[in-house]
Amino acid sequence: MNRKSTKTIFTLLLMSSMLIAGCGGNGNNAANNTTPNNSGTTPDATAAADDTALDTSPATFTFFGADASPNWNKMQDDVGKAITEKTGVTLEAEFDVGSGGGDQKIAMMAASGDVPDIIFAKGSLSTLVDAGLIIDMTDLIDKYGPNLKKVYGENMNRLKYSLDDQSIYQIPTNMGVGQKSFDATGGFEIQHRVLKELGYPKVRTVADFEKVLKDYVKLHPETDGQPTIPLTLNADDWKIMITVTNPAFTTTGAPDDGEYYVDPETFEAKLHYKRAEEKEYFRWLNGMYNQGLLDKDTFVQKDDQYKAKVASGRVLGLISQEWEYSDGENALKAAGKDEYTYGHFPVTLTEEYKDHSFMQTGIDGYGIAITTAAKDPERIIKWLDWMSSDEGQVLRTWGIKDKHYTVDANGKREVLPEIRDGLANDTANTQKTTGIGQYLIFGARYGDGVKDSTDNYYTTSFPEQIVASYSEAEKESLAGYKATTWKDLFPKEDEFPVKETGALYNLPVPTDGKYQVIFKKTQDIVRKRIPEAILSKPADFDKVYDAFLAELDKAGAQDMEKEFTELVKKRVSLWTGKNL
Amino acid sequence: MNVKALTESGVTANESVTPRPPAKRNSGFWKSVLQQKYLYLMSLPFVIWVFIFSYVPIWGWLMAFQNYKPVRSFSEQKWVGLDNFRELFQDERFYLVLRNTLAMSMLGLIFGFVVPILFAVMLNELRGNVFKRSVQTISYLPHFVSWVVVGGIVYKTLAIDGGIVNDLLLWMNVIDEPIQFMAKGKYFWGVLTAADIWKETGWNAIIYLAAITGIDKELYEAAKVDGAGRVKQMFNITLPGIRTTVMVLLIMNIGHLVGIGFEKQFQLQNNMVTDYSEVLDLYALKYGIQIGRFSYGTAISMFTSVVSVILLFTANGLMKKFAKESIM
Repeated sequence: MNRKSTKTIFTLLLMSSMLIAGCGGNGNNAANNTTPNNSGTTPDATAAADDTALDTSPATFTFFGADASPNWNKMQDDVGKAITEKTGVTLEAEFDVGSGGGDQKIAMMAASGDVPDIIFAKGSLSTLVDAGLIIDMTDLIDKYGPNLKKVYGENMNRLKYSLDDQSIYQIPTNMGVGQKSFDATGGFEIQHRVLKELGYPKVRTVADFEKVLKDYVKLHPETDGQPTIPLTLNADDWKIMITVTNPAFTTTGAPDDGEYYVDPETFEAKLHYKRAEEKEYFRWLNGMYNQGLLDKDTFVQKDDQYKAKVASGRVLGLISQEWEYSDGENALKAAGKDEYTYGHFPVTLTEEYKDHSFMQTGIDGYGIAITTAAKDPERIIKWLDWMSSDEGQVLRTWGIKDKHYTVDANGKREVLPEIRDGLANDTANTQKTTGIGQYLIFGARYGDGVKDSTDNYYTTSFPEQIVASYSEAEKESLAGYKATTWKDLFPKEDEFPVKETGALYNLPVPTDGKYQVIFKKTQDIVRKRIPEAILSKPADFDKVYDAFLAELDKAGAQDMEKEFTELVKKRVSLWTGKNL
Repeated sequence: MNVKALTESGVTANESVTPRPPAKRNSGFWKSVLQQKYLYLMSLPFVIWVFIFSYVPIWGWLMAFQNYKPVRSFSEQKWVGLDNFRELFQDERFYLVLRNTLAMSMLGLIFGFVVPILFAVMLNELRGNVFKRSVQTISYLPHFVSWVVVGGIVYKTLAIDGGIVNDLLLWMNVIDEPIQFMAKGKYFWGVLTAADIWKETGWNAIIYLAAITGIDKELYEAAKVDGAGRVKQMFNITLPGIRTTVMVLLIMNIGHLVGIGFEKQFQLQNNMVTDYSEVLDLYALKYGIQIGRFSYGTAISMFTSVVSVILLFTANGLMKKFAKESIM
């Protein structure tokens, strides 16, 4: 009896302790869930004293960025510390992981209403806007944003969301205003060792590109003991667009409008795969595959496998953008294997087409938005405004005076050699310690080629700087082509009119109704059938490709195109005042 | 979950042993409650737990009948009746993903049962304790590796350029050129099942090993006296001894046939094989949550739950009838 009751008491004790532990756990979870909301509160609410003066009391804002930012150092880098010192603001930032994009994370935010104070939502902004989670910044900018107004100037119209909802939900910050690129970072890429050995051959069409790769791989079937890969592409998730599907329009003389081709006269939109020219581009890729020039792993490999291949130096050619493969290329630079890095060429299907990479879209980009969770939007706008001031912009792009750059007797800014060297060859570590380039999206900024009041460029890339950052191998290749930068090989901005439609991959689309479903379906079809077409036997290519186009229409592509055409027309009337 | 199943079966076993007085129905019930008050008290927290986490969320199913928009309050939502279900059952893709789900979970069920049981029985026959223990530990370690990592390992192992499987097959002259395991849809189910077996066999075997330990040693001794060899002992004592455990787990797993989650498929898939790799949960994610169609996503998961319950009861009923084992 006695023994039994002891046992009972013991069991009950154990049980209740479990219960308490369970509750404790839940309590913690609940607390964790609510913190993001609370931390937006400024400790003291004395901000309202003066409208224009910058409040430098400590404040913490939560932030989510839809792009991965592996070198983010929680603002413990030099630039980050300077920003906190000058403005009192600390960001509690979270970035998307993996290949980025943020779609899933932002969809969850829209569902739960649990958003950070500030968000860089990229293509998912409309999801948040439709959920009523983004605030209109029009009045705030008007009152507290003199620098923002200065930078965007006459382009303020382009910040508006749509013809029906003329609010300003985001300030575009992933692009510089007035940007004149000094260098080309896209097109088709070929390793310097290939160019050198083949005596700097002409690379203008896909046939030239193919010949270069074929000739070189015949001479060197192995690189450092492993088989040489003539060409590989990255088809993991959305990157299939960057290296597989987008080049179809860049090589056939069309500008980048995301998944669409929009007629510049009538503004009629259609999925760009429907252009007959692009079918020929994919036929060429099909030929590359069947000749064994396109890596067999192309459509199976994951992002990291692709980057590892680039970093191994055995990939002769790429069709991509520098930012897409730079992780791999940086590893090569760090190892001192400059001859394995890449040069850029404006390759098109045949000579009749022009690479439209440098066609200007005007101001139109992804940017920073403030959410309803922000307790003090005024303070955020003031902060963003400070970041957009000359002082803020120079800090973000150049770093700190005498630590990262110097000003000589003539007032000319120059990046210190060790910093320049570090950014070029040991990018990850240098960015982590200096913070240069880590804060570009936090505020409006001028692009390359724009000068400030001291007659210096706002950004660190200007012709001399770019040439200075080239490696010897790169300079040698450029000399071989009698050029100083890669851009010299490309058609220039002034050869094209500024696009009235802006960059249409940024156009906000409806988030409910049929549009999203059809778009998703067509994307699924594209990502499945394009690889299938490329990997098919040459004789079957037409059959597969035509079936693919038929499948797109069966999924409702035509309705979607019609809807998109309407949106494009509305945008053009909003921006230009034309009546369409 | 497996552990939970064991304790539950343990409890039912205990209860069936306790003789119940054939008293009047009503008073008898309260009397037994009073008698077993500690048992009831002990189970109370778990009942509350199940209620909060498994029953309360069901109210969210109402979303499936609305055109749900986030942030808006419940009364502001628009009711659409069965529209979401109609759309679901009219979508060809739905039947494709249903096929994939069932195929992969059937494979998982068959191999996920046979292999760990065989493994446990064989491990039990080993004599050397040190060897036995190390094999057991090594075999269940992969269970703790996340699918993200396993996905990477599988891709590296099956790569055509330097992947160990292809290298081995080439070296043994089984094939002339590397096989593109991850690019062919028809291989996907096999690859996934194999990866799953590698990852989970050791872990799933633990529960059977535990059940085997519970078998009375005297039975083996008696069998030895009667002249039964090791194989005979295995078939006549070990396997029948763990029968109850196997049945309970089987019924529970059948209940999970359509709700297999999507983690493995998500980590192993690529654009080339989506026609074979997409499962119901992945479909719900892509065509529901990712594009803001919460109601549609809810309709899919509601379908999954209802089918699961039906499967569970059918399996239980069949087992009760033919194998005289059940969990309810």
